[in-house]
Amino acid sequence: MKESLLDILRCPLDKHELELEDATYDESADGDSDDSNGEDAAEVVDGTLVCAECGERYPVEDGIPNLLPPDMREESPA
Amino acid sequence: MGILENKARARLFYKYLSKVYDQVNPFIWNEDMRADALSLLDFEEDMTVLDVGCGTGFATEGLLEHVEEVYALDQSEHQLEQAYAKFGKHAPPVHFHRGDAERLPFATDTFDVVWSSGSIEYWPNPILALREFRRVLKPGGQVLVVGPNYPDNVVAQHLADSIMLFYDEYEADEMFKRAGFEDVKHAFMGPSYDPDVAITTIGRAPQ
Repeated sequence: MKESLLDILRCPLDKHELELEDATYDESADGDSDDSNGEDAAEVVDGTLVCAECGERYPVEDGIPNLLPPDMREESPA
Repeated sequence: MGILENKARARLFYKYLSKVYDQVNPFIWNEDMRADALSLLDFEEDMTVLDVGCGTGFATEGLLEHVEEVYALDQSEHQLEQAYAKFGKHAPPVHFHRGDAERLPFATDTFDVVWSSGSIEYWPNPILALREFRRVLKPGGQVLVVGPNYPDNVVAQHLADSIMLFYDEYEADEMFKRAGFEDVKHAFMGPSYDPDVAITTIGRAPQ
């Protein structure tokens, strides 16, 4: 996911803002777009999105934010 | 209550269905129907568009003919794998998310268009999902939902009632108005041999 996505992502439970923790970035993913000014175009590969209000944690796995509420998340990724 | 209204069962069902979905899908929801549905919306290239229940990405592909980027969400990783194969896993052009239609992980007033095709029949509480659509739409933003039209045939009705949600024009009108949409309209779509299998509803978030 693009780090700029944080502007519109919210906790699915209480709709508060999410903070990105323990992020790792794809250094190679950026590049060819000419409007890539650092932060905005940064591709987050792994990390955790944490709700600033309720503290619920949502994983970013291989670049895909998993924003399923906790009661729907028990499925093992296999 | 249909058996697929249990989300765990829906996930399991999709895990298997995703293997054959794009082979099966064209018989009930094909490119012509998709084009008909897309023609009901007003697009500009830089619009912010959300595809809820994107599944294997069939509608996402159509949306990308009208806009540069699409935000796509689905609960099933197995369905999403098929979509990753079509568009790549990372934006552009598609921003993928796993999430629940009834509890969208997006800020209020974010999208110009919220689209959902072939997904509403699996939501336990469609009104909740539609209210979420309205919340994430900008004022005046457009919603489009394609669902299965309630069949005329009694045997098919019985099957429909036992498996999943089907609804007619009257019910669709009720649902969208209860969710707070305005200018609610309906269109029926289908292949020539069964021209009204799908009901498409459009509406707008209040200004």
